[in-house]
Amino acid sequence: MPRELITGNGAAGHVLAQAGEANREGRGCCCGAYPITPQTEIIEYLRGVEFTKGRVVPVESEHSAMAVCIGASLGGARSFTASSANGLAYMTENVFAAGYFRLPIVMIAVNRTLGPPWNIWADQGDSLALRDAAWLQFYVESHQELVDTILLAFRVAEDSGVLLPAMVCMDGFIVSHTQMVVDLPEQAQVDAFLPKCVVPHRLNVERPATVGGLAWPRETEHMRHEIQQAMQRAPAVLEAALDEFEGIFGRRPHGAISVEHAEDAETFIVATNTMARTVRNVIEQRRAQGEAIGLVSPKLFRPFPRDEIRAALAGAKRIAVLDRNHSPGSGGVFWQEIATTLQGHSATMLQDYVVGLGGGDVTPEVVNRIIDDLYRRESAIEPIWEEVTA
Amino acid sequence: MIEITIHGRGGQGGVTLAKLIATAHFLKGQYAQAFGVYAAERSGAPLQAFVRIDSNEITIHNQVKTPDHLIVLDRTLIGPGVLVGHKPEGWILLNTSDAPASFATLFPGRRVAVVDATGIAVEHKLGTRAVPIVNTTLLGAVGRMMDLSREEVEKAITTLKFGGANLNAARAAFDAVQSVTLPGQAELKAAAPPAGRITGLLDPDVGGPPKIRTGNWATRQPHRRRLQAPCAHACPAGNDIPGFVAAVSEGDHDEALRILLETTPLPGVCGRVCPAPCMDACNRSEFDEPVQVRELERFAAEKGARPTPTLPSREERIAIVGSGPAGLSCAYQLGRLGYRVSVFEAGDAPGGLLRTGIPDYRLPREILDAEIDYIQRHGVDFHCERFVDRSGLLEMSRTFSAVFVAAGLQELRGLDLGAGGDAVIQGIDFLDRVQEGSITCEGQRVVVVGGGNTAVDSARSALRLGASDVRILYRRTRAEAPAIREEIEEGLDEGVCLMELVLPKRVQPQETGCALTCVRMMLGEPDATGRRSPVPMTGADAEFVVDCDLIVLALGQSADLSILPEGAEVSNDGELLGLTGAPVVLGGDLATNEGTVAHAIGNGRRAALHVHRTLTGEDLFPPESEPVASPEFIHTHLFHHAPAQHAPLVPPGERRRSFVEVREGFASAEPSAPATLEAKRCFSCGMCTECDRCVEYCPEGILLHRHDGDYEFNYDYCKGCGVCASQCPRGVVYMTEL
Repeated sequence: MPRELITGNGAAGHVLAQAGEANREGRGCCCGAYPITPQTEIIEYLRGVEFTKGRVVPVESEHSAMAVCIGASLGGARSFTASSANGLAYMTENVFAAGYFRLPIVMIAVNRTLGPPWNIWADQGDSLALRDAAWLQFYVESHQELVDTILLAFRVAEDSGVLLPAMVCMDGFIVSHTQMVVDLPEQAQVDAFLPKCVVPHRLNVERPATVGGLAWPRETEHMRHEIQQAMQRAPAVLEAALDEFEGIFGRRPHGAISVEHAEDAETFIVATNTMARTVRNVIEQRRAQGEAIGLVSPKLFRPFPRDEIRAALAGAKRIAVLDRNHSPGSGGVFWQEIATTLQGHSATMLQDYVVGLGGGDVTPEVVNRIIDDLYRRESAIEPIWEEVTA
Repeated sequence: MIEITIHGRGGQGGVTLAKLIATAHFLKGQYAQAFGVYAAERSGAPLQAFVRIDSNEITIHNQVKTPDHLIVLDRTLIGPGVLVGHKPEGWILLNTSDAPASFATLFPGRRVAVVDATGIAVEHKLGTRAVPIVNTTLLGAVGRMMDLSREEVEKAITTLKFGGANLNAARAAFDAVQSVTLPGQAELKAAAPPAGRITGLLDPDVGGPPKIRTGNWATRQPHRRRLQAPCAHACPAGNDIPGFVAAVSEGDHDEALRILLETTPLPGVCGRVCPAPCMDACNRSEFDEPVQVRELERFAAEKGARPTPTLPSREERIAIVGSGPAGLSCAYQLGRLGYRVSVFEAGDAPGGLLRTGIPDYRLPREILDAEIDYIQRHGVDFHCERFVDRSGLLEMSRTFSAVFVAAGLQELRGLDLGAGGDAVIQGIDFLDRVQEGSITCEGQRVVVVGGGNTAVDSARSALRLGASDVRILYRRTRAEAPAIREEIEEGLDEGVCLMELVLPKRVQPQETGCALTCVRMMLGEPDATGRRSPVPMTGADAEFVVDCDLIVLALGQSADLSILPEGAEVSNDGELLGLTGAPVVLGGDLATNEGTVAHAIGNGRRAALHVHRTLTGEDLFPPESEPVASPEFIHTHLFHHAPAQHAPLVPPGERRRSFVEVREGFASAEPSAPATLEAKRCFSCGMCTECDRCVEYCPEGILLHRHDGDYEFNYDYCKGCGVCASQCPRGVVYMTEL
């Protein structure tokens, strides 16, 4: 397996192309492409790939980019694209369409702050704003996790029991534009791991049909319920996929969540994306000083892995959730989900820390401040704004 | 783990340097991380890039705050600011030609390394002195500081696909870098707390944007210039072609005519008969079709109102011999300057060859008469049937303040065909008689010998006079024929036959008409003019006979210099030397044999200015021209293709039997009519049309179009991006390197 020094965007482009190429015996692949900082290099890379059977279609907007993916997926092609921030916002109508059509499209969301004000730096608000669109959502903390999760995303999305699109979210610039050492897959491994893409309800001249026509409330309610049931099947499919992944690639990525340093810990931090890495470093430093703090990092956000999280936080007395996102009028999104998950566990103090909005550099100092505050706190209050002063 | 901070400016390749350093260590089996700080970076904005190297996996993703080592790419960034967070035990590598000791006050106690990466990069042609690319060079110095081998440095460079000069530059820097630990006490410099308060969305008191003189970051600067349009450069009369065409495009026909009348009194004539070298030179030719300047000149002459002529105001009287285009032009310019001018013409009416040598169907008499009349109203007298010989000229030089001699080419080249008698006539004489109405060709077979305008005019006139068959015999091919291309085409459409590569040898009278024996020619080696010489073919089929009734010779003309004193010498300005009395200037074809109306007009005007300067000392010659706007100055992709508008021609069938004007000219002056559309096709090469593209496209909004029409660049904020220059369609805005 080639080991390379490569940016997150470079790695994402590489793996998307391999996944597309893996469907060359099937209906090929397609990407509706539109650039936006900090995703542009993914699209530029894909535009330069000569697929055996596939096309990258440059369009005039993100809305059309997703439209192309929907059309191609309805034709049976393995479809993928990437976007960020206001590009995702522009795409929204079709993001919902892809989900409600149950098309196994994979999109890389390079997390960037939604504007205004104009801001290019990392913030999870853009992909979280689409959490109701019936897409699987993964949040990755590193380049290696990005590579592995993209492959898993195709696998789970295309599973006949799931058939939902999947979003893989990485921090803008911090992962997308930073060169790190990554093990990249070989084409043969990707060919082995990803079976031919089958979209059972694809348009087929042998069985002419219309998709997306009018449906009564009764049918609509039923279809929405089917989607929830598909979501509920996803974690088991992911587990099975991880077994296969390990067999082919020789390593086992984290599943729906990672739980670390949990033994004898009563204090837990919940964090995602690269913040999880910073938290891990701080936890390890503090452990060396005798403190026991556990780290729980959700990798799968939709469906939200409530059972695993409930189990992981069973022994927690106090929990800090770090949210690099915020739903105005309420609080951080991960906090809201964890709060629902822990309903009935009133003994646990759950405190939300909104940190790094707009892309601030969440340093170990900031994490230490949060942990110190958590220790001092007797009861949880409304979400705390931990402003990054850098 | 080692952490490095690189200080540079946007566009200098700092992030790539970080990647190079990371790559060098990755290839040795280390873990590495490289990234830049992405902000509102622009070319020139100060920014940082970071590198981390470790033998274990790197799990830190924050910006580097306490680097072990520093690299400063841009010497203008060397200052106390870079020291923030730098660990005192590390080194600082500076791109500078100064010695380490000169940084003792800035970086006391620290290990400072220096290398003139800019000098080395420029020497190896990596970028320019204004924008050098120093990253690969600096990798050499960094490698040495980090104990990499030369091979490890080179491998990083080639892995990132930089080759050639980059490797040599890196090697040079590897050898050249020197480091010294400076005297003094090294201290860790803490970061200052962030300045300024944080403002909210509704905060009314946010102040203005920071005053950063971004112009200081520029490595290039835009300027405006004026270039000479190639049409104006090519015009032998010196007409301001882009000027008058622009006026036509704006519907200001009076202004268009006024501009033309500065340099020529004969726009109606030239608008019909000029071979238009301006159109050959037009930059639009390659793009689609040249602007139809000739047709537009005629249009302006027709639609514009002529300014009221000035009356004589000076005492001096000037004599002009010959009322052809050179004489007319000189008379007009002198008349405009206030002189009293007397023109002496041997023929019975003024105009010279304009009247006798160009038939009505090309140049109607009324047009010529009207333009001569306008010249006359400037205080110019015409004295016809007054032939001037040598003694007459000497007399004039005693009674006038100056004399301009433009008697044309009176010698007609002949061809010895043996016995010909009345059947052989010179083209010039033929056309003169056509003009008089004293000749007919009814039912005749007419042969014209020659390839110039006189030959074509004679042939087409013969047709109109009832000839049953008209052939032009030319000893070269059509491509070499000097006649105006369109005239030849129109003649062929009318039924003239052109026999190429034919030379008549002898004529023998027959019962009716004559037998003209001709020989076929082929093109041999080029002659002094560069044209391939015609060479008679040999062999049985080389000769053939043409039966004809009239043979017209149009073989060219030469000067009859008998008017000049014995052994006369002429200065560069055309002035006769060695005379006492008034200055005598020669001009037109007599002096230069340039052969076109436009050349004669230009020559006559310059002669007038010369006379004026001689008599008064006032120099009214136009200043030196700017460089010519050759095609590469024009951004043709900014124009739309549009075929030329052509004025209609009377159909050949209709026009071949009459002397009515063949070309009808543009009729309408409406904004949407062909004339205006055609004028709008002009690129205005090298001359600003105030289209304001530069202003609209400037991303920084630093271009101001002032009320006085001039443009102003605000160099305080111009970053030298060059968009204005790339968006100027006509080569007016250009960039210089700082």
